[in-house]
Amino acid sequence: MENQAILLLIVLVPILGAFALPLISCLSVRLRNLCALSFVLISFILTIALVPVVYSGQTITAHILYNATFYADGLAVFMALVSASISAVIVFYSLGYISHYENQNEYYLMVVLFFGAMMGLVFSSNLIFLYLFWEITAITSWRLIGFFREKQHVLRADKAFLVTMFGSVLMLLGFVSIYQQTGSFDLGALKNSHLSNLVVILILTGILSKSATLPLHTWLPDAGVAPSPVTALLHAALLVKIGVYVFARLFIATGFVTEDFWHTAVPVIAGASALVAAGAAMTATDLKRIIAYSTVSQIGFIFMGLAIGNAIGVAGAMLYILMHGMAKGGLFLCAGIVEQNTKTKDITRLGGLIKTMPITAVSFLLCSFSVMGIPPFGGFFSKYMVMTSATQSGKVWIAFIFLAGAIMTIVYLLRVFNLVFMGQAKTQPVKEGSSTMLISVALLAALSLAGGIFIYYPSQFLQLTILQLPGIIK
Amino acid sequence: MNANILLMLVIIPLVAAILILAIRRLSEIIALLATGSMLIIAIALFRQNLTYSLSLPWAGFGIEFIFRLYHFSAFILLAITAFAFLIVLYSCSFMHGKNYVNQFYSYLLISAAMANGAVLADNFVLLLFFWEGLLVTLFGLIAIGGKEAFRTATKMFIIVGVSDLCLMIGIGLVWYLTGTLTISKITVPLNTLGCTAFILLMIGAISKGGSMPFHSWIPDAAVDAPLPFMAFLPASLEKLLGIYLLARITLDMFKLTTGSWLSILLMTIGAITILLAVMMALIQKDYKKLLSYHAISQVGYMILGIGTCLPIGIIGGLFHMINNALYKSCLFLTAGSVEKQTGTTDLNKLGGLWSKMPVTAVCFLITAASISGVPPFNGFFSKEMIYDAAMERHPIFYIAALLGSFLTAASFLKLGHAAFFGKRNQENENTKEASLPMLIPMVIIAAICVLFGLYHRSAVGTFLTPILTEQFVEHDASVLLVTLTAIVLILAVIHHIIGTEIHGGGVKAADHIHHAPVLGGIYDKAEKRLFDPYEIGLKIVNVISKILSFMDKAVDWIYNSMTVNSAYAASDTIKNLNTGNYSLYIIWSLAGGVIVLIMMLKGFGS
Repeated sequence: MENQAILLLIVLVPILGAFALPLISCLSVRLRNLCALSFVLISFILTIALVPVVYSGQTITAHILYNATFYADGLAVFMALVSASISAVIVFYSLGYISHYENQNEYYLMVVLFFGAMMGLVFSSNLIFLYLFWEITAITSWRLIGFFREKQHVLRADKAFLVTMFGSVLMLLGFVSIYQQTGSFDLGALKNSHLSNLVVILILTGILSKSATLPLHTWLPDAGVAPSPVTALLHAALLVKIGVYVFARLFIATGFVTEDFWHTAVPVIAGASALVAAGAAMTATDLKRIIAYSTVSQIGFIFMGLAIGNAIGVAGAMLYILMHGMAKGGLFLCAGIVEQNTKTKDITRLGGLIKTMPITAVSFLLCSFSVMGIPPFGGFFSKYMVMTSATQSGKVWIAFIFLAGAIMTIVYLLRVFNLVFMGQAKTQPVKEGSSTMLISVALLAALSLAGGIFIYYPSQFLQLTILQLPGIIK
Repeated sequence: MNANILLMLVIIPLVAAILILAIRRLSEIIALLATGSMLIIAIALFRQNLTYSLSLPWAGFGIEFIFRLYHFSAFILLAITAFAFLIVLYSCSFMHGKNYVNQFYSYLLISAAMANGAVLADNFVLLLFFWEGLLVTLFGLIAIGGKEAFRTATKMFIIVGVSDLCLMIGIGLVWYLTGTLTISKITVPLNTLGCTAFILLMIGAISKGGSMPFHSWIPDAAVDAPLPFMAFLPASLEKLLGIYLLARITLDMFKLTTGSWLSILLMTIGAITILLAVMMALIQKDYKKLLSYHAISQVGYMILGIGTCLPIGIIGGLFHMINNALYKSCLFLTAGSVEKQTGTTDLNKLGGLWSKMPVTAVCFLITAASISGVPPFNGFFSKEMIYDAAMERHPIFYIAALLGSFLTAASFLKLGHAAFFGKRNQENENTKEASLPMLIPMVIIAAICVLFGLYHRSAVGTFLTPILTEQFVEHDASVLLVTLTAIVLILAVIHHIIGTEIHGGGVKAADHIHHAPVLGGIYDKAEKRLFDPYEIGLKIVNVISKILSFMDKAVDWIYNSMTVNSAYAASDTIKNLNTGNYSLYIIWSLAGGVIVLIMMLKGFGS
């Protein structure tokens, strides 16, 4: 009973709390900021409380309405931990960043609601609930991308909303046809049921559009017009991780049976996405666009590991979500500091910032190392495991596609670092960011390093999680 | 001794590195203490000559934390820790008063820790963890060299990073083929996938060693990075690591035989590296840059030796590995003391330092003789073994190696003449000998070079022979080959004397080769980096990126223009149909009615 209450609170505290924030702001703005952060932290701490329960091999089911339930297994708790921890850092960063702008009530309401919807989605074990939370995240991110209300920003927010909506409606069609076949929306009852190719295509369209994979990816770089903490949320912690998580939830944790050919087709799509996005990142000159394309590219690695579907691939993909989340969050927050202080995002007009912004520069470099997959950073293990899953399944050529992607990752990230932080200064001398912002980026960089050195802990957890997933290919 | 002592070899330098960064003072003393204690542990372990293993819980999925110490790794550890200690001692004086001294020591110690870990690792992923981890400290060590040094650091990072990624996939393939990642248990069959795996692992190994085509960052780093970095990493530590791994994969894992085409591939890479790099070395006008091309050229001998797959070649290659580490690091150290005392390494501005810096000059002479293969120094013996093996495989490899020797000798005659003899530059009249902490490491290393030459049999017997599983009986070098070597050395001297006569001055002794027809043009292009594999690779990546980014723009255009426009077009069309014309609507309704009627009739019909 107690565990079920915890599970409900994890979702309800941020969702209900979000709507209370504008009211609290009438009392005090500082209190509102504190509450926003603490709602996310409460969720995070409660999720930690679930770790020992899940680690002992149990799962938790909590009923809400009718036959809809929340369900916590290793996969869900892992994902929730990743999202909550990174979101907490990003909200903390926001306290410094967003204090310069108007409409802060709307900002905090949407961010916390966004986070709550993510928690709901992660723990949903019912397709309709899953869809419901999925759309809440779409609406909140639409509002947040257009937060600065300029005409072009609003258009881009519309684009993000329309593309992901297009995908999610098709996915809903897929869910309905599953219901027609089996008479149930409940994932527990749907275990190991067979899916026709059409349904797989419908659901995949939804997933790929949300996780910004080729050819449904272009909304994500455009969404860079959002405030930096929001882009960090979209890329690192919440939005794009929804697609990969639902892929894992449906095709691996629920064990939907599909044609064998999808185990090759999805890695090929992911590989094409990784390469095209890496190429775009090489040629782009807008700091946030480059990092956004980098996300599209890295998501390809995650999809590859999941779609190959062997134990090391799935575990590697989950680790990838964690390590990429921390490192990419750090990169965006660093980009936010650079953008706010220099008033430009064009990397050809920046340079030499390491002299005046040493902490930002070093954090950026460390996070880049993690994204590149350089040991002792956490990204090394996830990249190794995902790459190995391809060779382990015998599809060595897939590993070579991603080798090209990984090489380009190194090249474009170093290019950005050198252009922005090294060489001659091209702007007026600028100050380092505020202390809350610096603490956030340094924390994420340190976590990226710690993720590699203390790999034992996430890895142990994932080894146990893998045993709970029926869809793993032996 | 407890097996946990192995962990100390990684932990001591790491803790020392963190301390140095944290307290920002006494960095020399901390670094000396740390490397000294590592050296003591390594000596103790080597003298015991036991096999240790240590296993700790780690990431799972085949990724285990296993350390294993046996004869070969104990020997490499001894070499790494000894070099680390000597280089730190040298740096105490050399780096004094320079920028970023704390970071220098800290990165150097972490590099030593990573190298120790890589040598001890008995799990392939653990090896990769330490191996690839060196990238970070290398990046730091080069980047602190100067304002523009980050460009070289980036170049190094990309070149080595790419080859480490190849190593990563190779390791994945080995796991797929053998089902284990424990290095001492791996035996890979040489089928198509096996050969692919070998090539990928080989790329990782020879790239760390600095072989062509993964070499081009080393000459740049010679200019940009702090000098002790060059003496420690590209000259000694990276050679030790790269050749160690190459020997492990060819001998233990893949059991390459003389019949395999991979053996010929290795020998070819070795021969090409020897020749091309030494050709570049010959025309250099800078002390450090000239040495850096030799650092590349010499690794070719080792790859050639191991690639022959003959016991004498393998032993020769490994002996050459340790010999090269000795004389090459010492040569870099002499370059450092010349740089410290005169303020330049440009050969045109040096000369006649013999009487001013006698100890440095003697150390230079010994090690230069060693690298040129003059008997009785150590380089002579290892080169003879490699010649022997190369001759047995095919004369063409022998000729390449011999030609390489000729050019090596010629370039060192030029270097020695230009720096230590000839006319002294006016500015260097008051030059003094380097300080004691700089001289001690040089003298020690030069002395070892002499000892290894005089007692080459016991050196090979103590350090190297136990590595081979098969019986190895050393025999005397063939008289014919030794005679040929002597002739080549004499020719090099004659060439130098004539060259000096013609062009006037030691530094210009090889100018007729530099400006020879055809060769001259090629040299000019090479100096402009037109043949740099890194520049070519980057160009290819840029072109591919342009194509890929065009595809991305095309997809984006579909969303931004096509979808939007077609939506407007569709709504416009529908709008035009609804003009408010009454009769048109009646026609619409009638047409609809007819269609419904037809459908209903069809329904009844079936």
